[in-house]
This record gives sequence, C-alpha cells and structure tokens, in this order.
Amino acid sequence: MITLDIQNLEAKIGEKQILKGLNLQLEEGKVHAIMGPNGAGKSTLSKAIVGHYDITVLGGDILFKGKSIKDMEPEDRAKEGIFLSFQNPVEIPGVNNAYFLRTALNAKRVHEGKEELNAAQFLRLMKGHLEELGMKPDMISRSLNEGFSGGEKKRNEILQMLILEPEVIILDEIDSGLDIDALRAVSEGINKMKDGKRSFLVITHYSRILDYIEPDYIHVLKDGQIVKTAGAELVTQLEEEGYDSIVNEQ
Amino acid sequence: MRLNNFQNKSLEELASTLSVSPINKALKKFVEMGLPSKKSEAYRYFDVESLLDGEYESLDYTPKVINEGEEIVIENGVITTAPQGVRIYYEPYKQIDDNYFDPLYYLSHALYPRTIKIEIDGDAELKIVHRFTKSYAIINYRIVLFNQANRHSTIYEHFEGELVQNSLIMYGYDMHIAQDSSFRVVKVQTMQNQNYSMLASHKINVAKNASCMFKSFDLGGDHALQFLKIELDEHAHIDAQHLLYLNSDAKRGTVSQIIHQGQHSTSNQEAKNILDGASRGIFDALIKVEPTAKYTKAIQNSKAILLHEKAYMISKPQLEIYIDELEASHGSTTGQLSPQQLFYLQSRGIPAVEARKMLVIAFANTMIETIRDSRHQELIRNEFDKVFYSKED
Repeated sequence: MITLDIQNLEAKIGEKQILKGLNLQLEEGKVHAIMGPNGAGKSTLSKAIVGHYDITVLGGDILFKGKSIKDMEPEDRAKEGIFLSFQNPVEIPGVNNAYFLRTALNAKRVHEGKEELNAAQFLRLMKGHLEELGMKPDMISRSLNEGFSGGEKKRNEILQMLILEPEVIILDEIDSGLDIDALRAVSEGINKMKDGKRSFLVITHYSRILDYIEPDYIHVLKDGQIVKTAGAELVTQLEEEGYDSIVNEQ
Repeated sequence: MRLNNFQNKSLEELASTLSVSPINKALKKFVEMGLPSKKSEAYRYFDVESLLDGEYESLDYTPKVINEGEEIVIENGVITTAPQGVRIYYEPYKQIDDNYFDPLYYLSHALYPRTIKIEIDGDAELKIVHRFTKSYAIINYRIVLFNQANRHSTIYEHFEGELVQNSLIMYGYDMHIAQDSSFRVVKVQTMQNQNYSMLASHKINVAKNASCMFKSFDLGGDHALQFLKIELDEHAHIDAQHLLYLNSDAKRGTVSQIIHQGQHSTSNQEAKNILDGASRGIFDALIKVEPTAKYTKAIQNSKAILLHEKAYMISKPQLEIYIDELEASHGSTTGQLSPQQLFYLQSRGIPAVEARKMLVIAFANTMIETIRDSRHQELIRNEFDKVFYSKED
C-alpha cells in the first residue's frame, strides 16, 4: 500500500524552481532513502511535504493515504501523521519541552477523536521514552532545544517522534553533527519505530546512517527529479562511483 | 473638573479653584512646571492632552470605616478594607520630592493632601486591590509606604475597573524602603479600552543596604503611563522589571529615572514589550549616576516584539554619568516572532494561534518565572490568556 504519493511535484523557493516534476511513492512499512548531491532538492522535498513557508508549490500533488495534503496547513499535515525530523531543530527559549510536547500530542489526539492526556499521564509517558533513549530527566523541564548539544537536539527529535507516533517519518540529515555513540542511540530510537506500517523517508548526503537504518529503497535525486530508484545495493555503487555515474546512466 | 482649565492659572487662582492653600508646596511646584503637553519630555510619546481635556467628576475622599479583610482595598481613592495589624493613617506627607519630573506628581499631591500612609510591620506579604467604580470621574490618591529596617515585605498590586467608563486615574506611591530591608512590589494590571486611563507617579527611596524589586505586568488596552523615580543610597539595589503586552490602540509604558546617589549602589532594569494591533509601547528610561555614587553597577535593557505591522515601540534607554568608577550597560532591540520557531511548533501539530501564544508567553516567561509565588505566576499567565484571546475574537 502507498502511504505518501508525490505526483509530478514542482516547487520553488523564492524565484528559483527547485523541484521539477518529482515523482515518488512511499510504501507502507518501508524505509526509503533519498540521496543526491548538494543542491539537488532533498531538503526542499522534505519542506514541501510538511508545508514549510519557504516553499511555493507550482504544480503536481502530494497525496497522503489517497488524500491531497498540498494545500493543508503544516499543523494539519502533522495531525494527519506526517513528521519531519529537522536537520537543525530551532531553539525556543521559554517554551518548556514537556508542555510543548503535551500540547502537540493532545492536538493530535483531539484530531483523532481521543481524550487528551492530563499532565500526570503525559509525564509518565514522557519519562518512559526518555529512559528508552538514554536522555536525562531534566529534558522535561528545559526549554525546547535551548542550549542542547547537537546530539541532544537530534535525540529530542526522536523523542517527539516516539510520543507523537506519526505514520510517515521524514529524517532530514538526521546523522549530521552526531558522533558514533549519538548516531547509534538515535538510530536505535528510529528502528524502534519500525512496525511494518510506518514509512520512513531518510534524506542523507552520506551512506553512514544507512549502516544503522537499513533502507528498502534508494532514490537518487538530481536537479529536482528522482533519476534512479533501486534497492540497498545502490549505496555501494554510489560510494564507489559517485553521483555522476548514475547521472551518466540516464 | 477639566484639568486643561488649570493651564496658565496663577497660584492664587488655582488655589482658590481647588480650595487648596496657596502655600501648599505641591501646588506651587505644579504651577511652576505647568500642565504636561506633547512638548513635555516625559509625555512626548503619549497623548496626554486628550486625557487632560476630558470632563471628569471630582470625588469626595472622606475616609470611611475600614473593614477587616485579607487584603487592602482602596475603592475610588478611599481605603475600605485592610488586614488586621496593618497600620493605616490619613495624614499630610511632608517629604514630597523637590525635583520630580512629572508635574502631575505635584498636582496629585495637591489634590490629595492627606495621603494614605501604610506602615508595614515585620516580614509581611500584602495584597493591595485598587478598585474603581465611578465612571467619567477623576480618581486621584497618593499612598505613602514605610517598611521596617531588616525586614522583608512583598506587595501584590491588582486593579479592578471593568465596570467604569472613561475615568482618569491619577495615583502613586511615595515609598521609603528602610535600611537593610528588602521590599518587593508586583503589579499586575489588565486594562480594556474605554474603562479608564491611568497616570501613576511613583517615588521610591531605597535606603542604605536595602534592596527593592519593582515588577510591573501591564496588559491589554487603553492609555497609561507609569512614572518611576528611584533614588539609591549606598549599597542599595533596585531590580525593576516591566512587562508590556498591549493590543488594540493602547498607548502604555514606563518613564523612569533611576538615580544612583550612594557608593556601590546597583540597578538592573529590564523591559520586555509585546505589542499587537496598533498599540504603542513606551520605555523612556534614564539611569543617572551622581558624582557621589562611585562603584555603581547599572544595567538597563529593553526588548520588544511587534506582532502587527501597525504596532510601534518607543525605546529610549539613557545613561547620564558623572563619574568614571562604575560599570554600566544599556541596550534595546525590537523584532518580530521568529517564523522558524512558529513553523517548528506548527510542524508538530500545534495550531498557528496556539503557536503564537506559546511564543508570546515564552518571551514573557523569563520575567514571569521570577515571581516567587506560583499562584501569582498562574494569575499572570491567565491574564495573558485573556488579552490574547480577546484579540483573537
């Protein structure tokens, strides 16, 4: 089953068109990796899916479980079940991490027709996930991402993912700025989310993260289009021959 | 009463009009300075003339029987309730400041010659409620506060005036913070348009080794200015924090003078301003370091967030220094809510309106969280909610 279906997507940032008729289908329960050289449009794709204000969609469509989300507000896309783990999560001094996450979770629960969690119920849930990720309990009371190390920020993204339980998870350069230990911990968190139903879109420059999160499909993005799709074996070719080898095949 | 009618009147004429003695010191000073106008330095950014031109009913301030209650209630300028053990008198005030920068400080004293004098014994926590129930009235009163040396007191100040229309409130404190004591004032005031406007002139004397904290949380609409003149003796400290969260076409803010007179005196003044609608925030603040105030430390800072293109912040931090042996800094920034922060919250499913509110509260939180009493923190946040959602309607 296809969870996210991107059809002939064209998008620009400012006056520059970045995505030029991009087609991509994410299968339920599968890990899709997007690789490509700098400027290919990888981050633009992730931003377009979640409705970032920088992006103007010029044409095409984005369907989530068959429904167009192209014109939805970012918060509505999130409540439907789409989650972007940011490359550089923004710091928000004064917004308590636990309060933020409970507000986000309860917005989603209300959207799904479920009862909101009270503070005590939420704290129990959050503490459990903090332990799983090896995060310090003070993450509950700290301001959102303020003063966090690179590793803490990425772990906090994974914590949000675990709590919000999205159906499509986009990981934008999740490995950037992480040492080996942090990368392993983050990857473990991501792998725990694999349940045969969730779809993952892993956006990366390098193959390192794919040693930890095994992909089902590799897509090569070049000049705003997917130029090749293959299995995990494509990683080896890319490492040995570079992106030019793929482009020259076309 | 129309205050504009006092313009260009001689001392004798005014004394006769107001039934005040012509040797009244406050009245003399008021006549010397004249009514404030757009040209007055302290009122340059505030439309005072329309307030002075209003026709207001004068009130009778005859003292009433004071009932016992948990808080001090001052209703239309007269004390009606007070807790047991708080000493309250009505008596003339003989230490009127000779060089106050707001002429209405003097007019207010002249019109209210028997001030409300409150003496706070020991360590105390008091709530003062200012209640206004008279519409189209000028409600004018002065409070003189004394605490005791080596003691620690806190005053929580609240205002109730939702039922009045178009009144003008002129009130203020003359505070005497005793040697080696600490004194905290937390003022929370939510105003809505058409209820009342306010001009509040406060004078605070902080004695040797004493510490004063003055925190004001001014929310909502309408027109109000608070004037502060704070004099610091040797090793005295003032921590002045001002939070403004305005909407509609409000014009509100703080005009202040912190004067370092004693050696090793310290001041920390911080203003945070959140301005929505077509509101105007004012922070016009001078720190003056006298030649006698060697080894002063003075910090002054103002930050503003504009939530609407029509909102406007006037921020004028100023230092006037007459010595070299000091540490002083001041700064001012004005900006908008960060689109990256807004998007981050929205991308987690938080609606845009809630995300804006979270960021507005976050900006204010560093100031709210310094309030020791968590109930008051909650109260301030609730007032924030009221103002925020009234704007959304």
